[in-house]
Amino acid sequence: MRIVILGGGTVGTSIAGLLCHHGHSVTVVDRDAAHAREINNELDVRAVTGSASQSSVLFQADVLGADICLAVTGDDEVNIVAASMAKAMGARRALARVYAPVFRDLSTFDYNRHFNIDRMLSLEHLSAMELARGIRNPGSVVLENFARGELEVQEVVIRESSDAVGVPLKDLQLPKQVRIGSLCRGDKTWIAGAADTIELGDRVTLIGRREDVEIVHELIQKERAAKQGVVIAGGGETGYHLARTLENEHYSVVLMDQAPDRCEYLATHLDRTTVVQADATRRRVLEEERVGTADYFVACTGDDENNIMACVEATDTGAEHVMAIVSRPDYAGVVGKLGIDLAVSPRNVMAKQVLGFLNSGPVVSRTSLTGGSIGVYEIEVLEGALATEHVLANVPLPASCLIAAVMRDDYVRVPGADDRLSPGEVVVALIDDVSLEATLTQFTVNGK
Amino acid sequence: MKFSDFMNVKAISSELTADNKEDAINELVGALVDAGSIKEDDRESIVKAIMKREELGSTGIGRGIAVPHTKHPSVDQLVGTVGVSSEGVDFDSLDGEKVQLLFLLVSPPDRPGDHLRALENISRQLRDETFCRFLKQSKNADDIQQLLEEADNNQFVS
Repeated sequence: MRIVILGGGTVGTSIAGLLCHHGHSVTVVDRDAAHAREINNELDVRAVTGSASQSSVLFQADVLGADICLAVTGDDEVNIVAASMAKAMGARRALARVYAPVFRDLSTFDYNRHFNIDRMLSLEHLSAMELARGIRNPGSVVLENFARGELEVQEVVIRESSDAVGVPLKDLQLPKQVRIGSLCRGDKTWIAGAADTIELGDRVTLIGRREDVEIVHELIQKERAAKQGVVIAGGGETGYHLARTLENEHYSVVLMDQAPDRCEYLATHLDRTTVVQADATRRRVLEEERVGTADYFVACTGDDENNIMACVEATDTGAEHVMAIVSRPDYAGVVGKLGIDLAVSPRNVMAKQVLGFLNSGPVVSRTSLTGGSIGVYEIEVLEGALATEHVLANVPLPASCLIAAVMRDDYVRVPGADDRLSPGEVVVALIDDVSLEATLTQFTVNGK
Repeated sequence: MKFSDFMNVKAISSELTADNKEDAINELVGALVDAGSIKEDDRESIVKAIMKREELGSTGIGRGIAVPHTKHPSVDQLVGTVGVSSEGVDFDSLDGEKVQLLFLLVSPPDRPGDHLRALENISRQLRDETFCRFLKQSKNADDIQQLLEEADNNQFVS
């Protein structure tokens, strides 16, 4: 595929390297001529010098014929403008990296839609999600936000018997806005059908609007384990997102940051998190905050060395699991030896997301479910696609394909059998690899 | 969008004589004037507009290819042509190489979408090495016209 990367910083360069490695044709645009030359020397890419938000530069980078354009400069506004321009000029997909959370918030203004950008990615948010995943579902991969956070895919392990166990899914009184996507029993994973039942020990995927997923979660998993304690060191964007994600679930969260102003901000924006102004790299602080009794200690200050050191101290004081943000790739080898359970590299997290977008035709993104052949796909509904010709019940989709949700603008619905897809919508579907081709024929137009 | 939607085949120049950017652009615009797509009175103004765009960054995108273009109110539809130079034109290209293949496009300002689709078509087709090689080797305007037709029928790019 042809990929144009705008911004040759650490993120841009590492993604460029990865994509080259995967055999793609990559062009990197950077403002600094010397830096662009350097990238050109190190990697098998074409380097163009210039500002990413200038049409002449985008033209030179051949954004017009690009399959995907990634705007990953250090500047939010440049990324948004450049990604938007790239899309308008002909790039099939455009992603923009943003730091400020406001760009991903829809309540006041829908940046995605206005600028026609396929996805706004925040390195900090993605890293926080990766850490949250490590805490919530150790050993599992799933838990993605689709439809710009409106839709959630959650994996639940049925540990205790509840009223839902043994009942065919069609007889379960599930809220209409949630679907049971896949069932995993033993080493077998399949897309759930109406006649399937949930058994003890099953791993179940729930898809739906976030609030509704929580309701079902409680319905099928009667009792939850006791509240677990999480201590987060560093109240930057990553720490903040992590705290916000976990505090709404069954975790008691303590968030530490050194800066009084930041603590003030965090305290007003987080409802159920205890914000502590303290230096988490000090042993005394860790002891005072009783990190030793915490189930999870997460270090996400902006500094690799501090994160690693804090984790080592936390382990020493008795924290059960320790996790850290570690940016430098050369530290990867050592973190395991130091007893750090999970080290999240923001670049790798970003790269993984980007790889999910390298699809042809109507597929926007693909995410694999744990250990199986099932993927969660976002698929565009194009003008003239076969799937738009009938109501869903009559669209000849294979059995191992489940249309879980339909997005139109920022509104998400779980479709019923009488619903009909219309062009401009994006569907979220669970598809088994064996049915992928058959499913996609319903979404392609003239074989494209 | 296809080449046949905007290319004036009567303006195709299989043997450009110019050796520098401005002369080459002038030569191609001149060919469009001769072919009736552009009025002689507008020639200078269009060449100027294209050169002004070049100042922002060369449209010589490497591999011996340049795609000079502009929007201009004097045209009421997209007009384009192709020029081939066996000697090569000094075009201030990204890779520093001389340019043998020039695709020139002039669009009316009120059709920004079509303008972009035409540029996109050009850039997509020019990605095919075989297409470029055949174009560079072509002896006369008929050869070039035929290659454009073949490209329109997707014989080069899948």
